[in-house]
Amino acid sequence: MNESFKRGAAEGFRAFLPLSVGLIPWAVVTGVAMRSIGLSPLEAMGMNVIVFAGTAQLGTLPLIAAGAPLWLIVLTALVLNLRFVIFSAALAPAFAGYPKRHRLLSSYLLVDGVFAILSERILKSQDAHWRWGCYIAPSVWCWVLWQVFALVGVLGAGVLPADWSLEFMATIALMVMLVPMSATRPMLVAALAGGLGAVLLRGMPLKLGLIAGIVIGIAAGFAAEHWQQRKEPT
Amino acid sequence: MSEGIWLWLTLAAIGSTTILTRGSFIIPGERARLPATLQRALRYAPAAALAALVMPDVLLVGGELDPLNPKLAAAVVVILACTRFRNPWLPFIAGMGVLLLLRKGLGLP
Repeated sequence: MNESFKRGAAEGFRAFLPLSVGLIPWAVVTGVAMRSIGLSPLEAMGMNVIVFAGTAQLGTLPLIAAGAPLWLIVLTALVLNLRFVIFSAALAPAFAGYPKRHRLLSSYLLVDGVFAILSERILKSQDAHWRWGCYIAPSVWCWVLWQVFALVGVLGAGVLPADWSLEFMATIALMVMLVPMSATRPMLVAALAGGLGAVLLRGMPLKLGLIAGIVIGIAAGFAAEHWQQRKEPT
Repeated sequence: MSEGIWLWLTLAAIGSTTILTRGSFIIPGERARLPATLQRALRYAPAAALAALVMPDVLLVGGELDPLNPKLAAAVVVILACTRFRNPWLPFIAGMGVLLLLRKGLGLP
């Protein structure tokens, strides 16, 4: 193995390790939530490997449980994953010269935490081996952690009583992601408008109220950002 | 809920959104750029989508607005746990604790 790959891997792993511990409750809760809507252990772990995106998994579970139409489930997953388009665009220059299979693997493994902690260092480095090590080591670690602790949740869910309202764990998990996200004014506006829009438009056919609410939320957040910038020009 | 092969197809379809979004710029491998305005607007998509999933669940009971239900009380506790403390387990323990206390202890719906 290449020396600078190893150095990159060590640095990436060290930087990501503390944050990755915070993933453990997510993974366990996602495991429990997948079982709580009636997925078998095999189906739950299948979803965990195929989808490998906590927000999209937790967000689509209530729709799968309710028997929502496939297009709505996929559209919701797509919206919940849209942030990755931004991450992908930001990271693409760092991987531009890599073989196709490297780029496929790094796409499948791209998660918020690794991007947040390491994207700056990876984009700054001129050494392609170092960049790959720094990205792939924490990303694989994150994947392993996610699968192992989801399995703990999947197997643990079976021993918990059915009338404990465990499906609410998924809602709590979505809130735990949402709350820190809403720290800035426009983000909070986007969240409130999106949520209230979905509540008020719940009567729309085909559960279109959910998509309408999301569109309203994005528009409101964007408008709030413009309004804030006009008020206090930077 | 869909069963068997349909469920697996659903899971594959959900999974395709993961690889499509994450690979959107990495897989083509070109130094393409997203238009700045679109990039800024997309930043609000996750927050709007999460809230659009969470708020109907905690504000509605049987399709009707109910501002005094156990789930909303639990949601308020979850928000407090997230903003006041750093422990990653606390929101789950506190939220489920309040929900179960109100539902099992007081028999609320």
